Amino acid sequence: MAPLPTIKIISKRELNVFIDNLIQKSKSEVIGVKAKGERYVFAPLTDASELCLNYDVTILPPKKYFLPQYEPLMNYDLKKPFKVEKNLQDFSRILIGVHPYDIIALEQSDKVYLDPQKDDFYDQRRKNTIIIGADIQKVSKRSFAASMNTHITDSGFDLLLTNIGSHYAITIGSEKGKKLLEKYASTKIATEDDRKKIEKTRESIVSNYKKKVKVEKEQWSSTLVANYDHALWEEKSDRCLGCSSCTMVCPTCYCYDIKDDVTFSLKDGTRIRTWDGCLLHDFTKISSGEVFRDDIRDRYRHRFYRKGNYLPARYDFVACVGCGRCGIACLPDIADPCDVLNELSHLDYTDGTHKFFIEQKKKPTAVQGTIHLPRSATIQQVKRLTESEIYLQIELDDKKPLGHSPGQFVEISLFGIGEAPISISSAPGTSPLFELVVRKVGNVTSKLFTMKKGDKVGIRGPFGNGFTIKDFENKHLLFVLGGLGLPPMRSLINYILDKKNRQHFKDVTILYGCKQPCQVLFLDEIKKWQKMENVVCKLTVDQCEKNECWAGEVGLITTLFPEIKIDKSTIQDTMAIVIGPPIMYKFVIKCLQTLGVPDTNIFVSLERRMKCGVGKCGHCQINGVYVCREGPVFKYNDIKNLPEAFE
Amino acid sequence: MSKPRVAFFDFSSCEGCQLQIANLEEEILDLISLVDVVSFREVMKEHSDEYDIAFVEGSIMRPIDERRLRKIRKHAKIVVALGACATIGGINKIRNQWPVENVKKEVYGSEHLEDNDYFDVFPTKALNEVVPVDFYIHGCPINYDEFKHVVTSLALGKKPDIPTYPVCVECKKNENICLFELGKFCLGPITRAGCKAICPTNGSPCDGCRGILKKPNTDCVQDILDRYHLTYEEMKSRCVLYNYSKEECK
Amino acid sequence: MSKNMAINLEHVTRVEGHGNIVLNVKKGTIEKIQWQVSEAPRFFEAMLRGRPYTELRTIASRICGICSIGHSLASLKATEDALNVTITEQTALFRRLAINAENMQSHILHLGYLAVPDLFGVGSVFPLVESPHKETVLKIIQLHRLSNELSDLICGRTTHPIRLIVGGFSAFPTKQQLLHLKERLQEGISITAQVAETIKSVVDKFPTFSRETEYIGLTSPEEYALYDGTIASTDTGLFKDAKNYRSIMKEYLVPWSTAKYSKHTRKSYMVGALARFNLNSKMLHPKAQRVAKSFNLQAINYNPFMNNIAQLVEFMHNIEDSIRLIDTIVDKGIKEEKPVSVTIKQGRGVGIVEVPRGILVHDYSLDKHGKCTNANCIIPTNQNHANIQKDMEALVPQILHKPKQEIELNLEMLVRAYDPCISCSTHYLTVDFI
Repeated sequence: MAPLPTIKIISKRELNVFIDNLIQKSKSEVIGVKAKGERYVFAPLTDASELCLNYDVTILPPKKYFLPQYEPLMNYDLKKPFKVEKNLQDFSRILIGVHPYDIIALEQSDKVYLDPQKDDFYDQRRKNTIIIGADIQKVSKRSFAASMNTHITDSGFDLLLTNIGSHYAITIGSEKGKKLLEKYASTKIATEDDRKKIEKTRESIVSNYKKKVKVEKEQWSSTLVANYDHALWEEKSDRCLGCSSCTMVCPTCYCYDIKDDVTFSLKDGTRIRTWDGCLLHDFTKISSGEVFRDDIRDRYRHRFYRKGNYLPARYDFVACVGCGRCGIACLPDIADPCDVLNELSHLDYTDGTHKFFIEQKKKPTAVQGTIHLPRSATIQQVKRLTESEIYLQIELDDKKPLGHSPGQFVEISLFGIGEAPISISSAPGTSPLFELVVRKVGNVTSKLFTMKKGDKVGIRGPFGNGFTIKDFENKHLLFVLGGLGLPPMRSLINYILDKKNRQHFKDVTILYGCKQPCQVLFLDEIKKWQKMENVVCKLTVDQCEKNECWAGEVGLITTLFPEIKIDKSTIQDTMAIVIGPPIMYKFVIKCLQTLGVPDTNIFVSLERRMKCGVGKCGHCQINGVYVCREGPVFKYNDIKNLPEAFE
Repeated sequence: MSKPRVAFFDFSSCEGCQLQIANLEEEILDLISLVDVVSFREVMKEHSDEYDIAFVEGSIMRPIDERRLRKIRKHAKIVVALGACATIGGINKIRNQWPVENVKKEVYGSEHLEDNDYFDVFPTKALNEVVPVDFYIHGCPINYDEFKHVVTSLALGKKPDIPTYPVCVECKKNENICLFELGKFCLGPITRAGCKAICPTNGSPCDGCRGILKKPNTDCVQDILDRYHLTYEEMKSRCVLYNYSKEECK
Repeated sequence: MSKNMAINLEHVTRVEGHGNIVLNVKKGTIEKIQWQVSEAPRFFEAMLRGRPYTELRTIASRICGICSIGHSLASLKATEDALNVTITEQTALFRRLAINAENMQSHILHLGYLAVPDLFGVGSVFPLVESPHKETVLKIIQLHRLSNELSDLICGRTTHPIRLIVGGFSAFPTKQQLLHLKERLQEGISITAQVAETIKSVVDKFPTFSRETEYIGLTSPEEYALYDGTIASTDTGLFKDAKNYRSIMKEYLVPWSTAKYSKHTRKSYMVGALARFNLNSKMLHPKAQRVAKSFNLQAINYNPFMNNIAQLVEFMHNIEDSIRLIDTIVDKGIKEEKPVSVTIKQGRGVGIVEVPRGILVHDYSLDKHGKCTNANCIIPTNQNHANIQKDMEALVPQILHKPKQEIELNLEMLVRAYDPCISCSTHYLTVDFI
């Protein structure tokens, strides 16, 4: 049996002395729960009398101290020529009055932000902050924490205060907490009687909860899986303003966006992180203008699934702690998970064929440096390929190789403008040089289009799940590539067709389609491939003007399929790789299936709004899958049942 | 590369938005080292008709104003509407409720002013009802940080990032008590953000001066009015202040 | 002298709003002098009509971007007068701070950005930045920043103040914030004195011109009146019947101006900093008195160009006054007051304040539902237009011998000295035929 925690007793007067001591003597910033009008907030204390431990719920959860609303991550100065400085918090803090559900929420965000791809800003704040929790004395009328079992906790705090009537009990949760008490407070040891009082206080608060959720936490996932297509989502979201107030006030929501601030000099400024919300229309918008979760119904539903199914599958916790803040904040009152789950619980379970996530085979690997700070790199070569595409050869300034596998991407960073995810076009290896093919679409890519040799850029990554060469050895290969789908595969194809490696792979068929002849890339390399033995390479364009010189086919890429001659006997041994614009996948996969290629042999590379690259900012999600982590390269079989994958 | 040439113009307005540029204080000096201000009638005598970017404040009320605006559009590569009067008509549009003839009679009595260009007034128009506008800086007055962002973006050759989400996002980030909870009707949920929710943060409900977002979902309005004990009348009245238009006022 | 000259300065620069100066001279005879106001009428009365009393301040504020605090306060005073609402002592103190802040902000903007370039012979403040006068420009910016900090703190925002509402304030600053601002104001005193010194060194660039004029403004036995006071005239003394302001401020139309002209005992009168100085110079605080003395500015001064200097004097006074107000407020302690509650009733109210450019009147009539049925505003600049015209008529003969460019400059400087706010002045209600 685990040893009982050390518990001390303190009089109410001595508690005030303790807090005043912390304020005046501890050199830490002391934050506590204060009244703001009729509500409460966490705010700096100047005096112990300001602290209100009998509050119901704060407007914003303590997440604002670990993931601030507006957080300057780094200062950059392009005059130097590439100087970037992190803005790490170096002062210490004490938070007083954190309720158990908020403590549990912090432990949840720890699992996300302190995974192998650690966020050092969050880490620093966590390390520098002492949590003095408080058992709930007054229950918020929208809270259902008791039925989520988040109204009490035995971990995650340095100290925990419980009001046991005449005195406060202080449960010691860590060495830091113990030392704090010893230095600044005068306390007595708790008796057996005191311990009983604590238990009683915690038990009696349960009856104050008017709101109860009828679905056990452990059943949320299956309840949601069974009801993905239910009419409830449409009915409720019809009244949704898309204001994302629910995510702003939620202790377990932590998606973020990053923007660059620049001064009038245009050369220096700050990169700032701010809260983002998945209910907002442009949350999934990419530079080309495409929005991947356009319908309010999909966005409204996504939030509940993220909390009740996607995150539980990934991290083993239900990302809702029943605090009730969203119920208070939502003007048309449709955000409350308790209400939604209770409504769903009335329905008969149906067998859902949906799957919203992929079994995780590997844990994310730590990145070089930190996840936010770009490494400085220099453009070594620039070649204009077409009207809108440019080839860049880049070298990291520390001369280290990028260390990527084909199919991965980097986030290329232009301070003052932004970042863009670009697939890596060159073969993996020991060279410090790597290649990117960039299409001019948005702010960053348009700027890249004008850059010259010697210009500096920032590089984060490589990120994502790429191809494993082993999967292709001793197989026939069928590449179906549309538009910009070719550049990332070019190095893989060159590797396979290289004399040294050719014997490890069987027949190679390449189908390549573009919108117009002027957009065809790497035509001279393609011509070389066409001449090789056991290589079939066919090109097509969607349309061709009468006076344009074009020797290939004209028509959509699907029109090339009837010309493929692959034996029924070899089709089982063929791996198909499909990369192209979103619209292409549905049709091409049908063709492949008609051909007889098994679903398990098809690979796709999907695009979403990849921003952080490390599965934290939330923008690239396809249901429960992070494209920046489990993708962009996917086995079609793994994601074919994901409702959001191929719409 | 030479500095972009910038000019400021104003029509029917209170000139409060141009004042925000003066409120940049010391940063004005940085601004004028980034761009060449070739015309700014309010603060300088010099004027040139050769400019790349025109910042225009105010609404259009008369044919002579329309003609002046069209001239500006011809000279400038980029036209930026500055402030609510220019972006959406703003307060100036409230008088569009009444027929112009009644208004003129009311104000000028029986004076015969038909042949006087100065008095030839039609219903208020925002800039984009007369000429195409490239960028909008919203607000009444504008937020000079947003002005800074637009100027630096244009100088960097990138599209300015203006929020497409409602004021609620910024209001919640400021940890304000929701004004609905205090019995007031706030237009925040359907108004474009970018002002850091300055009015709710100071205890005053949002008036919608940055413009209503595209196609707000208004099916829930009755629910909200009921929940917070507000009247439909009050809501309608609030909408008229900045966003008066015959169709939108439902 | 058979001089022929045509001056047509369209849209005079460095003034707020659009106005033209036209001068035609044929064979030495002045055929035409006109101060034309071409600003588009904005019909504020039409905007206020039918709106609930809670929105009147929001709309009135937008009459002018620079005097938005002044219009807000006049609007609130008129509304409160119509509804019989009495504000608390705390509100009165904070409103005085607000009006001080606006006066400071407007005066330093006018002096620094609009008027001073003429004294240094440049077209705008921008060339001064490259010159040895850069320090002065930076000091002016510092004072402008200080004024904005004060009004941002009290009103929530300088332009179109948010916190000023019927019955009081929607939020008050904390004691710490006020004390911090007091420090900043104290620093501002020496910077103001330095700027005054610099201006003194070039003040003789203002023409020496004098024309006997009537001055009208608020006056009070207790303070240099800005927020509260009784209407007074240098010709006729106190006028206590505020609701009948029309018997003093008589407006009439002229065809070359979309703005009306005003007169009282003479053909025109002047309002603004110089008018206030001429009526109330004894009520100025000590440092402000010293600034006036250093410029030999004494009541009663008939040179409109000295309006600029009167503004400088008022700026210093406002700093001193704000420091005293903060001390009073902090001594009494800031209470968490909600605005005074309102019982809606029918009524007419008149609110009069001094804004930077002169005396401002808002006159509202409300129906029994609290909706506005009638609104009237007398704008300071309106009241000055006639005086500008008359000053021009008197000045031109005196300077006709000068080269054309200098005449143009002098006429522009004359208009600028009034610090006109032309877009405010083009909106009014019923015409009173005299």
